[in-house]
Amino acid sequence: MSEALRLVFTPSPHIKDATTVPWIMKQVFLALLPAAIWGIYFFGPAYAFWPLLLSILSCVGFEALDCWLFKRPLSIFDGSALVTGMLLGLSLPPGCPFWIPIVGGGAAILLGKQVFGGLGQNIFNPALVGRAVLLVSWPQAMTTWVAKTPFAFPNLEQGAMNLASGVDVVTTPTPLGISKMFGYSTLKQLDPHILWRLFVGLVPGSIGEISALLLLAGFFYLLWRGIVSWDIPVFFFVGLTLVAFLGGENPLYHLLAGGAVMGACFKATDYVTTPMTQNMRYLFGFGAGAITALIRIAGGYPEGVTFGILAMNALVPLMDRHQPRRFGVKPR
Amino acid sequence: MRVKTFPKGVHPPRTFKELTASSAIRTIEPPAKVVLPLIQHTGAPLSPLVKKGDRVKKGQKIADVEAFVSAPLHASVSGVVSAIVDWPHPTRGVFKAIVIERDGEEEERGKLLSVERIEDLEPDFLRRWIREGGIVGLGGAAFPTHVKVSPPQGKTIEYLILNGAECEPYLTCDHRVMLERPEEILIGLRILARACGAKAAFIGIEENKPDCIQLFEEKVKQLTIPTTVVPLATKYPQGSEKHLILAILGREVPPGGLPLDVGVVVNNVQTAWALGRMALEGMPLVERVITVSGDCIKERGNFLVPIGTVLEELIEFCGGFTEPPRKVIMGGPMMGIAQVSLAVPVIKGTSGFLFMREFRSFREYSCIRCGRCVNHCPMNLVPSQLARLSEFGAFEEAERFRVMDCIECGVCAYVCPAGIPITHRIKVAKAEIIRRSRKGGK
Repeated sequence: MSEALRLVFTPSPHIKDATTVPWIMKQVFLALLPAAIWGIYFFGPAYAFWPLLLSILSCVGFEALDCWLFKRPLSIFDGSALVTGMLLGLSLPPGCPFWIPIVGGGAAILLGKQVFGGLGQNIFNPALVGRAVLLVSWPQAMTTWVAKTPFAFPNLEQGAMNLASGVDVVTTPTPLGISKMFGYSTLKQLDPHILWRLFVGLVPGSIGEISALLLLAGFFYLLWRGIVSWDIPVFFFVGLTLVAFLGGENPLYHLLAGGAVMGACFKATDYVTTPMTQNMRYLFGFGAGAITALIRIAGGYPEGVTFGILAMNALVPLMDRHQPRRFGVKPR
Repeated sequence: MRVKTFPKGVHPPRTFKELTASSAIRTIEPPAKVVLPLIQHTGAPLSPLVKKGDRVKKGQKIADVEAFVSAPLHASVSGVVSAIVDWPHPTRGVFKAIVIERDGEEEERGKLLSVERIEDLEPDFLRRWIREGGIVGLGGAAFPTHVKVSPPQGKTIEYLILNGAECEPYLTCDHRVMLERPEEILIGLRILARACGAKAAFIGIEENKPDCIQLFEEKVKQLTIPTTVVPLATKYPQGSEKHLILAILGREVPPGGLPLDVGVVVNNVQTAWALGRMALEGMPLVERVITVSGDCIKERGNFLVPIGTVLEELIEFCGGFTEPPRKVIMGGPMMGIAQVSLAVPVIKGTSGFLFMREFRSFREYSCIRCGRCVNHCPMNLVPSQLARLSEFGAFEEAERFRVMDCIECGVCAYVCPAGIPITHRIKVAKAEIIRRSRKGGK
């Protein structure tokens, strides 16, 4: 009867649902693909594909290098470096110099993640750390945009000139840059259909952040898969809207312009760097949105998503001291 | 059907109950030998009342102890005590056990209850009668039933809840007992209600057992005590006492408290059945229904087995293995305990045995703080944080973060995408905190 049975002893539970870390990372990657593909089509592969690919390779490569150098188990197959590379690449300006994604990837992985001890230990969103380093170090390179001429601001003088001379790519200011300097009304004059074009993704910007529509599609996919929840993005938009409204600007424009949708749906929802408990997640989302709008309206940068989320990331360890309501104890 | 439930928890995509749900209870042949460990319940271990060489009758009390939280043990077959030795125990490694070699002679019956007059009997008498029958909770925790129905001074019991949720995947023994023995369950219900003084009763059944819900809705009409059948969501851990009370009555048992702190007593349906049977037949708790399931056993099903039946005999009765199992679990897959020996006996708290081809071997990744454990923890804890504190040996900190509230249901580890044995780490912390407080108390 009890011949050579090799019974395994493990603690309960003895079953587990199918979700694993690599599967989650794969889903996030897939959710970002439509926006990425549109970006590559919109700007052309030469301007958008190579920065994106370099960013991904750089992130995965630097993580592998770090694991090798410091004798950690090779962690690149959990998929997190891939997602970081994707997020960073999508937030880069099209046509940026080749070393921008490489340096950014190194900063993201080494400074943003590995110094803290790797996946799950980092306080700040690695992709945002990478972007922040690039933004403060090379502001010029990070805010020069190119676009295929049919999509550049049609009424801009420079665009028109380049069109005339037969060049098919122009550098163009971002809508946030224009509205920061000249106000939203000027922007509206330049482009009466600006909101619609921002929503669909017909206005130049960072490689993968131009189409709110496609980013939202990806986000809804993750919602459906049960990977993210609605709380942080919704409260991000609430915070952004409130401050934009108080600052006398069009909230809808602020929702659609720049990296707001990307930030709210894919960066502010990063598991590792957001609070664990429900009430604190509302606060986190609201704060990130509010700071984003504050920087845009009153700060030194045209775009505030990066620092808005990073600022709230810093508060997460504090917020995690808060515990959910104790079972059996009604709140007073 | 208006279905009730509690917040959080998990809906496992498959419950595997279809493997055994339609197999009627079969009585196994009494084995040639039974092994009865001297601890089968939550509480104090027993001392034997017999010695090696003694002849015992089926139903005879063979071990007891003075302690209040304890329940005596009875011989499950007639025969001769062949040894009192250390024997593999399904939850405690090795423990002293009484071994009886069966001779198939007469049995001994206790006192029958006059079923018509249960409502006239003194609660104190009933509680003593329950204790003498060796009745403990048959849902798995095996808490002595007479203790549950004895409200301390100044507390009154309003409601009795019969737990027919059976939320663990694979297990169907309660389902079958409800379906096949409703009359005896309802006699048990009356005994329990009378013993604890409840003025109304509820029977909670998960909606994946519509046949039971329908049957009991019909049957409870004959009872004099107002009884409601409550359909519950098919959700784990719906059968947890605290969550059953929350689902049915909207009351939360306070931390460290018991159901009776909110005026409720919860008992498993099979416990009620054992009481009903004892009233009708006079035989104390010497057998129970268990589920045998999994992907490695030839004949799956629900079996009425003498307590003390050794697992090897049970396997033989079920036709042996279709292939060698890698994991044998006593209980359900969420809270059950993996076995290392097939010599363990069926004890009072055994709800089933599962024979599994595969064992859980998931790669463990770093915690990505996804919060799935927080979103699903039915006790509103932050399990990942507790697991981490336990890993670092920060037990005081874990205690501050309410580690002792954990009911060890396993939901956190079930949902964890990083494959971290969260529940296990929490159990380690709890055990350590209890150990330290005992040491400090002395």
